Amino acid sequence: MSRRVVLVDDHGLFLAGVKSELGDAVEVVGEAGTVAAAIPLIKELEPEVVLLDVHLPDGSGEAIIDAVAPERPDVRFLALSVSDAAEDVIAIIRAGARGYVTKTISGEELAAAIERVASGDAVFSPRLAGFVLDAYRSEQAGSELDELTPREREVLQLIARGYLYKEIAARLDISVKTVESHVSSVLRKLQLSTRHELTRWATQHRLV
Amino acid sequence: MPLPAFAASTSDRALAGVCGGIARELGVDVTLVRLVFALLALAGGAGIVLYLALWLYADGRPVWLAGLGVVIAGSLLLHAIGLSDRAVAGIALVSAGLAVAWRRGGGLRPEAPLSYAGYALVGIGAVILLAAGGDAPAPLLAPGAVAGGLLLIAGPWLWRLAVERDAERAARIRSEERSDVAARVHDSVLQTLALIQRHSDEPRRVASLARRQEREIRGWLYADRPLGDDGSSVVAALSSAAADVEDVFGVRIELASSGDAEADGAIVLAAREAMTNAAKFASVEEIDVYAEVTENEIAVFVRDRGVGFDPAAVPEDRHGIAESIRGRLERAGGSASVVSTPGEGTEVELRIPRSTS
Repeated sequence: MSRRVVLVDDHGLFLAGVKSELGDAVEVVGEAGTVAAAIPLIKELEPEVVLLDVHLPDGSGEAIIDAVAPERPDVRFLALSVSDAAEDVIAIIRAGARGYVTKTISGEELAAAIERVASGDAVFSPRLAGFVLDAYRSEQAGSELDELTPREREVLQLIARGYLYKEIAARLDISVKTVESHVSSVLRKLQLSTRHELTRWATQHRLV
Repeated sequence: MPLPAFAASTSDRALAGVCGGIARELGVDVTLVRLVFALLALAGGAGIVLYLALWLYADGRPVWLAGLGVVIAGSLLLHAIGLSDRAVAGIALVSAGLAVAWRRGGGLRPEAPLSYAGYALVGIGAVILLAAGGDAPAPLLAPGAVAGGLLLIAGPWLWRLAVERDAERAARIRSEERSDVAARVHDSVLQTLALIQRHSDEPRRVASLARRQEREIRGWLYADRPLGDDGSSVVAALSSAAADVEDVFGVRIELASSGDAEADGAIVLAAREAMTNAAKFASVEEIDVYAEVTENEIAVFVRDRGVGFDPAAVPEDRHGIAESIRGRLERAGGSASVVSTPGEGTEVELRIPRSTS
């Protein structure tokens, strides 16, 4: 069964490219190029996954998640961007995106990422894993940010090193399901952390 | 310089309604204003002249006429309180000059012309006033009048100069930024686009050009470091090394990092060698590089999912790993290890302690 997907990106060429690369792997039910157009479209179509750009002409991908998520909790978001400012990426993950992949990803990998997000798991690119480790490392002792467990840290490090889930599972001698649950747990901790703490992290990194 | 609006009162008038108008403007009782005018009229007729001057002004007559009236009224008043003719003439000229200067050029607008006529009047008046040194009140009045006059004339002019200089500097900074952006775009994006057009039949080359460009622009936009600068930090140096390897071998290198530190030559060169080996021998299109900087050490992982090899079977004289990677790091106090499985890929792990400085 192919997943129902809405694409939100303001670059027509890129949209066309993604669609042709995805081919039959997913069913693209709608497209939008702005925040204003995307919000009603997603609410109406209720796709399984929304692939969205971090930056749009009239706002950020974050704004779409903020507007849609409370009313359509089953819609899942996957950020797809060329933007590599750590702050932007962390912000959209915190808003509720279940993963972040760069636009250089192959069609095959993208389809796999969509499938993973649709089934409720998280998709961490190596770069995102690095950002997240960085965010947690910068936290001082006594922070309210939920600490990562040593195992979660280990999993993130391996993702950053370019290991696939099944390779991580083999290396740590755990199941792929367990790897997935560690990643989801990191995502949850990240989303539960308050804006204040991440702002402080961003400030320390001179990102804001 | 805008003058205050003033109109004669039509309802509260004894003569032309001037006193009524002033009282309304100032919010005081009209009787008080009339009393002041009556007293001034006793001082050599100053009140009468002032009344006429204000009437002309309220009536919409040329401002200079009214101004002249005010100056005459002031002169009459000063004369009446005992100043010599020369001192009064001097003060009158200074006042008239100031009025002209303010009216013509003393405004704060940058485009306002300087009034040389006004300044000339002030100068002549000041000379006369100083020459009237024998009169009793003149020595007190003269220096004050001159200083006040200079301040009134030069103040707005200096202020205007400052405003102009600020505007000029802001414009210069903007223009410098614009040319800086233009230069960067030209050196990077436009050059790359030109190269891509020339190599449009070589997909690998086009892809590597585009990737390199993307890296550079991203580095410039987000890391606020100059394009092509590879000496500032470990991550910047690795990024630059990765871009070079991408260029030469047409592979894609995904660089992730956590933390950053001052650039360390040994580990960056070792990592570059590891990336080069992977690009040359692993038969892959993509290589993953992860740099992790902690308090105590810098670790870099270079991983590919290529053909792999048996590390034990590598001849001693194979220069790459033995010398460029391991030897270099060990001399710098670090370590290198290689994990490779034929058919599954290779991962090179590089570690170096951070200098305590």
